[in-house]
Amino acid sequence: MIKNVRIAWKPALAAVALAFAFGCSGGDTKTAEGDKPKGETTTQPSGTTTAARPEPTGEGVTATGDTIKIGVVGSLTGDQKPWGDDSIEGAKMALEEFNAAGGVNGKKVELIVGDSASKAEQAKSASEKLLSQGVIGIIGEVASGNTIQIAKAAFSKAVPVIGIGATRTDLTDEGTHVVRVCYTDAFQGPVMATFAYEELGKRKVGIVTDNKAPYSQGLSKSFADKFKALGGEVVGEVFYETGQTDFTGPINEIKGKNPDVLFLSGYFPEVGPMAQAIRGAGIGKDVPLLGGDGWDSPQLLVSGGDAIIDSFFCNHYNNKETRPEVTAFLTKWKAKHGGKDPGTTMAALGYDAASLTFDALKRAKNLNSKDLIEALNDTEGFKGVSGVINLKGKGGNPDKQALVVQVKPAAEGFQVFKKAYSPSDIK
Amino acid sequence: MPIHSIPADIFLPIGGVELSTLPQQLVDGLLLGFIYALIALGYTMVYGVLKLINFAHGEVFMIGAYCALFTSWALGYIPNNTLGAGQWWMLIVMLVASMVGCGLLGMTIERFAYRPLRNQPRIASLITAIGLSLLLQYGGQIFLPLNQNIDSKINPAAGAFTIALGGGKSVDTATLKHTLEEKQAAFEEYLKRTKADPFNLDADGKKIRSEAQAAERDLKNAADTGKGTTLVIPYGKVIAMIATIFLMMGLTYLVMYTKRGRAMRAVSHDFDAASLMGINVNSIVTFTFLLGSVMAGAGAMMVATFYAGAKIDTFFGMVFGVKAFVAAVLGGIGNIPGAVLGGLLMGLTEGLVSWLGFTAYKDAVAFVVLIVVLLLRPGGLLGSAKVEKV
Amino acid sequence: MKGFWPVRLGSIGLAIAAAFLIDQLSKGNDFTQRLVVLAALYVTLAVSLNLINGITGQFSMGHAAFYMVGAYTAAISTLFHPELAAKNPLLWLFGMIIFGMVTAGIAGLLVGVPSLRLRGDYLAIVTLGFGEIVRIVANNVKFDTKGGSYGFSVDVHVTAVWLAWLFAFSAIAICRNLLSTARGLTFLAVREDETASLAMGVNVTQTKVTAFVIGAALAGGAGAILAHFEGFASSNMFTMDVSFIIVTMVVLGGTGSITGAVVAAVLLFFVPEKMRDLPDMPIGGITAFFILTGLAVAALRYVSQHYHGAASRKAMIYSGVVIGSVIVAAILGAALNAIPAVKLVPLVEGAKLRLVVFAVTLIVLMLLRPQGIFGKSEFSWDWFRRLGKKQEVATS
Repeated sequence: MIKNVRIAWKPALAAVALAFAFGCSGGDTKTAEGDKPKGETTTQPSGTTTAARPEPTGEGVTATGDTIKIGVVGSLTGDQKPWGDDSIEGAKMALEEFNAAGGVNGKKVELIVGDSASKAEQAKSASEKLLSQGVIGIIGEVASGNTIQIAKAAFSKAVPVIGIGATRTDLTDEGTHVVRVCYTDAFQGPVMATFAYEELGKRKVGIVTDNKAPYSQGLSKSFADKFKALGGEVVGEVFYETGQTDFTGPINEIKGKNPDVLFLSGYFPEVGPMAQAIRGAGIGKDVPLLGGDGWDSPQLLVSGGDAIIDSFFCNHYNNKETRPEVTAFLTKWKAKHGGKDPGTTMAALGYDAASLTFDALKRAKNLNSKDLIEALNDTEGFKGVSGVINLKGKGGNPDKQALVVQVKPAAEGFQVFKKAYSPSDIK
Repeated sequence: MPIHSIPADIFLPIGGVELSTLPQQLVDGLLLGFIYALIALGYTMVYGVLKLINFAHGEVFMIGAYCALFTSWALGYIPNNTLGAGQWWMLIVMLVASMVGCGLLGMTIERFAYRPLRNQPRIASLITAIGLSLLLQYGGQIFLPLNQNIDSKINPAAGAFTIALGGGKSVDTATLKHTLEEKQAAFEEYLKRTKADPFNLDADGKKIRSEAQAAERDLKNAADTGKGTTLVIPYGKVIAMIATIFLMMGLTYLVMYTKRGRAMRAVSHDFDAASLMGINVNSIVTFTFLLGSVMAGAGAMMVATFYAGAKIDTFFGMVFGVKAFVAAVLGGIGNIPGAVLGGLLMGLTEGLVSWLGFTAYKDAVAFVVLIVVLLLRPGGLLGSAKVEKV
Repeated sequence: MKGFWPVRLGSIGLAIAAAFLIDQLSKGNDFTQRLVVLAALYVTLAVSLNLINGITGQFSMGHAAFYMVGAYTAAISTLFHPELAAKNPLLWLFGMIIFGMVTAGIAGLLVGVPSLRLRGDYLAIVTLGFGEIVRIVANNVKFDTKGGSYGFSVDVHVTAVWLAWLFAFSAIAICRNLLSTARGLTFLAVREDETASLAMGVNVTQTKVTAFVIGAALAGGAGAILAHFEGFASSNMFTMDVSFIIVTMVVLGGTGSITGAVVAAVLLFFVPEKMRDLPDMPIGGITAFFILTGLAVAALRYVSQHYHGAASRKAMIYSGVVIGSVIVAAILGAALNAIPAVKLVPLVEGAKLRLVVFAVTLIVLMLLRPQGIFGKSEFSWDWFRRLGKKQEVATS
């Protein structure tokens, strides 16, 4: 009695066909929305036009119950933990202040935290969980790769995403529901390129890109384009990956091209060790190292040691600024954290992102996520710790200043301000 | 929008390969190959006596790096310290600490994870080894500090050999230097006079500065053309290489000329016959694990200390472990000189691959080498040429 | 043999009914839906790996690669033909599953052919290596601005829970049916003794390769479903860890038992998802947990090797040992936590324990019960019959 497999197949096939007939009505399918964009075209600070931003077509989520639920996503574990911790702490500080001041007509805001664990897929599942809990807005994240996933998840529910430190330029192309409180790489790259060309007088740049980070790839490109436009030469671009520990290959390759300045567009966990390896390979201090806001962490000094001192990078604001918002923020932060300054600028950016969201809640017509999107995109003259935030007509990207700082030992203050650039300086 | 014929932008080397970088890449690869050889010895010896691939060996290597890290902290080189350069005795202490720590760990693993399974089918030991490897990697994440670096100051040999390989043209840099000094002096004087911020100059200041910068560029370009290709070999890496050679010589002596070594060779030749001959196989197996782990610990300490910027976290050992394993197979697993040869070849191959620009695929290359070797000559380079079922 | 057709149609009907039941039960809650779909996918993966590892005795460690091939096939096809996909997503998904199975099957062929000459440990390393090579290549090859390290976003979401489960049931059915044919017995023969099978005229080569191809194809189909469900496919989703998780499931269930693979998959898939939400834990507690495990395992091993009394008392002693270890560990944990230095250590995020649990499971399993939960036995309706009746004692 050997059952022939072939006979068993026929009923199986029939069964599947039957299932199919049921399935076409019983199944649950979703296709991507927003294929008919009716968004706006806007100009970016550096003069490039972004594609039209699609408008989310979902019905939006309304806040029900006694509290208004807002989600916040950050990396509580993994390499980006310093940023996650700082940004979420900043957001929580803003929350306390807002609720203490009465919230929205007496209704308090509830902040639900999601962990992106420094990974894009985790950011996606964390935000999906938040959405299923009924949040009407998501604040986050710092890394562009993670924020893109949050934006995609939030698109179908028409829930706004307020980026904290995600600078990749095309992030806001995901939809009109995406805004951010920081500048974009379309600005940051040219700032550093201009700094290298004009202030440092360099003409031959070697670019070191993290091939696994969308942020780094975008930043390298905008830097290279501007540097070439100014008249400089990109002698070579080498690649590494987030998490890599041995950099001798790419470093030897770029060394052979004799650059007079190096642009390391990646994140601090790798930049520190790489700086050491670069100096160890015989590239002297006459070839300065430049970078973007991905360098921002006290950890950089520990892993970069002497090699990273006197390098320059681009940041969002500086703790030594005299603006009243900065001093007020620092006082409050120090009171809560044992007299210490925030470790990274993401604390202030997290605070700003949250404050902006809460402020928009007050201005929104109803406590509905779609109205919140409108209110956010209507923001004008919002005074944040990191600068004045204008979003009206800006396509989600505020035109903020960028500060170039020099890396000094911890005793000398770590980030010493050197030069400020505003969007009008970079044409 | 339909995306029909988008060319696949395969990640290709940028800008063409330059012959001048080849020596540097090869030398770096070779030096790293010595470390691979050290680790490969552990794999090969354990396989020789137990016919078991000790998956957890890479993690023993990782623990060795942590031992070195903690010892450096104990010696005062904690993060953000203000100490000066280290001294030689400190390095010796770190080396001993790593070797001892790894040795103990290796013996423990053998005693409690592998010995109970010696009579089970090989698959059981393999799965346990994998489980151990995972346990150390992820369990380590709970107990150990991540993303650490050993303070490079602790290495007293901070410089490097710079060997000019020629290819330089004789360029007269004297006049250029003179011009540069002139222009720089002018700029300094301007700054002192006007007390201007060097990053916020007016038109005059910018003019003077750009002259100084132009002079600097000219000098650098001339110097670059003049110096041709140079080979930079950090002292630390050379020290690592010499230490490795000594260790390997010691191991060879141990295995070839001592009684214990003879017992080891006997056990790897025929386990049961050796025990019948009165050899305490348990003790020999433990000894083998000890030796292999000690080698790995030494290698770990050297990488962590002498390779500037080596980032220590619990996955540190995975990449090294895989490449060392491939090295062992490449040389002929169970064959000690084979492990050394395999390690050096793996290092050189890596250097070659980096030179060609395929750095992103470096790790994949190791696996490709492994597959090729296993398919064409499973015995390895120094093993038998018979293509039998391995 | 009792009526072929009633049993067959009955099982198929039951499977379809179960699939739709699960679908209806999980509707409405995104999170539950996700869990249910993942369960189905892991069941498929475990069963397909079991075919290669357990039933044919080949030790394949890179199963995530086939999973990935299927997912990427679906993702890239959707990238190149989005309008076609959008027209009828369900039909498209069905097509992608088939396509994914085909490409993964080819990949299985590529791995299967060289595997012929390798045994045990080496095969494991090679399959692991193959998995990594595929992942690294996928991580670097870009199509314009998509792919590479970003991964592909699959714009056509299809949340067909019933289809995922139907596919899982089909995988189980395929494996079961395979085994009950004459051809299927050759798989078992090759596992037990290759030389003997060769001598008996079994085409060992073909058997091994078939196992790889079918196992890979099933994993590829699961991959296609995953790609369309998540809406995203990147190489980070298919690392070695995923392969290890699937191997753990197969080993826990009992290498060679389809039932075991299913049960273990359902038991274990849940763990990584749920553990993401674990609260922070004190390090003293975690150390105590490790000590508990170590003690319990050592004690249980001692008992199993040295105790030769009645089986019922053995069970009592086992439970006693476990309870004793828990008590000792609790005391130790409390003591550790009392030490001021230990209190200073920041709380550990519970999520970090995810893979630790798998590692510990593997090791404990191998030390205590290498044959897994089910060993080599399979689920059969006989079990229910035996429950009711009294056993007959052989008298001759």
